[in-house]
Amino acid sequence: MTTLFLAGSSAEFWADQVVNGLTTGSIYALIALGYTMVYGVLQLINFAHGEVFMVGAFAGYGTLMAFGGDDISGGMVALSIIVALLAAAAASAATAVTIERVAYRPLRNAPRLAPLISAIGVSIFLSHLVDDYFLNGESRYYPQIFPDGDISLGPLTVSYLQLFLMGGSLLMMAGLYWVVQRTKQGRAIRAVAESRDNASLMGVDVNRAIIITFVLGAAMAGFAGVLNGLYYSTIRGSMGFIPGIKAFTAAVLGGIGSIPGAVVGGLFLGLTETVGRELLNEIPGVNLPNQWKDVVAFGLLVLVLILRPTGIFRQKVTKRA
Amino acid sequence: MPELDLAPIRSSWRSFRAATLGPAGRRWNKARSRSWDRLPNAVRPLAWLGASLLILAIPYFDATWMRMFFLIGLYVTLGMGLNVVVGMAGLLDLGYVAFFATGAYAVGVFGSPVSPHLDVELNYWFLLPLAIGFGALAGVLLGLPVLPLRGDYLAIVTLGFGEIIRICAINMDDWTNGSQGLYAMPQPDLGFRHVDDVRAFFVMIVVAAFIVWFVTSRLRDSRVGRAWEAIREDEDVAAGMGINTTRYKLMAFAIGASVAALGGAIFAPWLTAITPGSFTLLVSINVLALVVIGGMGSTQGVVAGSIILIGVPELLTFQESKDFLENFGWLRSILNAPIDVFNWVTHLGIESLPPSDEWGDRASDYRFIVFGALLVLVMVLRPSGLFPSRRRQLEFEAPPEGSIARDDEAVI
Repeated sequence: MTTLFLAGSSAEFWADQVVNGLTTGSIYALIALGYTMVYGVLQLINFAHGEVFMVGAFAGYGTLMAFGGDDISGGMVALSIIVALLAAAAASAATAVTIERVAYRPLRNAPRLAPLISAIGVSIFLSHLVDDYFLNGESRYYPQIFPDGDISLGPLTVSYLQLFLMGGSLLMMAGLYWVVQRTKQGRAIRAVAESRDNASLMGVDVNRAIIITFVLGAAMAGFAGVLNGLYYSTIRGSMGFIPGIKAFTAAVLGGIGSIPGAVVGGLFLGLTETVGRELLNEIPGVNLPNQWKDVVAFGLLVLVLILRPTGIFRQKVTKRA
Repeated sequence: MPELDLAPIRSSWRSFRAATLGPAGRRWNKARSRSWDRLPNAVRPLAWLGASLLILAIPYFDATWMRMFFLIGLYVTLGMGLNVVVGMAGLLDLGYVAFFATGAYAVGVFGSPVSPHLDVELNYWFLLPLAIGFGALAGVLLGLPVLPLRGDYLAIVTLGFGEIIRICAINMDDWTNGSQGLYAMPQPDLGFRHVDDVRAFFVMIVVAAFIVWFVTSRLRDSRVGRAWEAIREDEDVAAGMGINTTRYKLMAFAIGASVAALGGAIFAPWLTAITPGSFTLLVSINVLALVVIGGMGSTQGVVAGSIILIGVPELLTFQESKDFLENFGWLRSILNAPIDVFNWVTHLGIESLPPSDEWGDRASDYRFIVFGALLVLVMVLRPSGLFPSRRRQLEFEAPPEGSIARDDEAVI
């Protein structure tokens, strides 16, 4: 049955699609973590999160260029990428904390639409600042320094870079999970997410917990920015928008507020939009160009929300969520 | 000279209206006086003066000014439509552009000779209600699946829907001619006058805005409006009080969507050619931002918001502002300082800003930087908007001493 249905393409093709899907999915997952954590704590769609991701990509790019750009070789490759990841995390965290301070904190008790609009404002401001003020509308390109080559396992072919992306992001997500579940600060975040007032009464420094939430989420977005740059090469000021929306979709798919949910949602979304589109293309008479993967992603979102409004990982959802 | 007392004339006109139109007339009187009385005393004559001067001056403005006025009028119309969905019914819609595009493409697909699939050219006055109908249909179609969703989920689904419509417009070549778009739009013909220049379109959008204002303000003060308000404040309680929430939410979606479609149906012939590029998320953001910045639920707010968010950035693209910007050459070295610091730290070799005589050409890009900063600034300084509706003002500002604290939850 399956073979009949997939008659048009070989097993290698589908294996490739799965690997590509998981690679994009892990980038979505890293970004989705920031959305889900901030939403969990503040019930705010952090619309500027895509731009935090963009800042991380540029910080990583700056670091790699400082190491010599395309001339980096040998042992320096690993070192430069690690430093770039750290620099990106730091730059993203600094950006996110500034945004929180300037645009969100003054509005914490305002009507709910107010922080949303100011978040949109920050997003437009940052993406155009980078695009039009710094770069004159041009794109920049990550140096292609990651060693080529791939590993084959039956029909499955994974390049080193894809392996690094998936492995690295899993590692970072595991680290984040550990911080949130096992450390004192993580407990403070979870307490604030449950009830800000009660946490404050129990002696949790709410402002501090919120800032740490932003820092952790932004660090993940920064990592994602560098990984995205290494994988897709092109970076520009407006690069954060679509991945940002997709990552929010992923967070909703997984059940917003849930950290494992964001990871599963991200991977699921990455898989669906690459494999899903190709599957639809297998139907005779259907030929969907690449752009339709966004339609597939959003169509999936609508479906999941109708059938399972609390996401894959059911969270305790408050009335207004 | 004794002051001319118009009060008797006005009151008899009112009773005439109440008598002829019955309860509808009485409600009209009430609605009219309510929104009018909300303006501060000093503003009223100024508003009259401004409006009449503007109308008298229409023939003297050139095309660039008329373009700006038209866009302000268009966004006032769209803003009042979104106000029904967001301000009255409390449903956060980030995909409003979808309905705007629906209206514009309805006119384009059925009226333009370019549409590959349909070789018909229908009369504009037939297309206008058709577009509005399509808009309402799209509103109901989007509304049905997303009705159970609340708050932010709704926001993200509608946002996705807005993107889907745009991608469909790009890829359904057979109908929409893809990214090349449709041109040779049908022009409205009044019999004695062809609506084909910027001034005529401005008058048309003003008439449309007035009709939309009339309908929405009447709805707000009617049973329907009260039902929306109840749903906005607390959906469960509203349902408990016997309000059919599904029906009223769908109605809000449909009315908001048909207003957007009306805007789109006027926008398409005004622009003469439509491409998917005209219907980006930025339209949704603009409309939502002007509603929120103006103050949700208030009509003056929508007008003020449109002037600030649509008019001012449009002003920046004028030749006069371009010439004016050239005088700020001395700013260049100050503005370049951060870039120099950046280059010194990172060795990225970022180009400095172009000389000031090129700023005018880049103004359409630079204005977004200002726009973004403006959104943040207005929200931080006045979170309930510039002209908050009276009721919301009471709701959001600190309750007076001794009163019951407001409920944080029922705020959208």
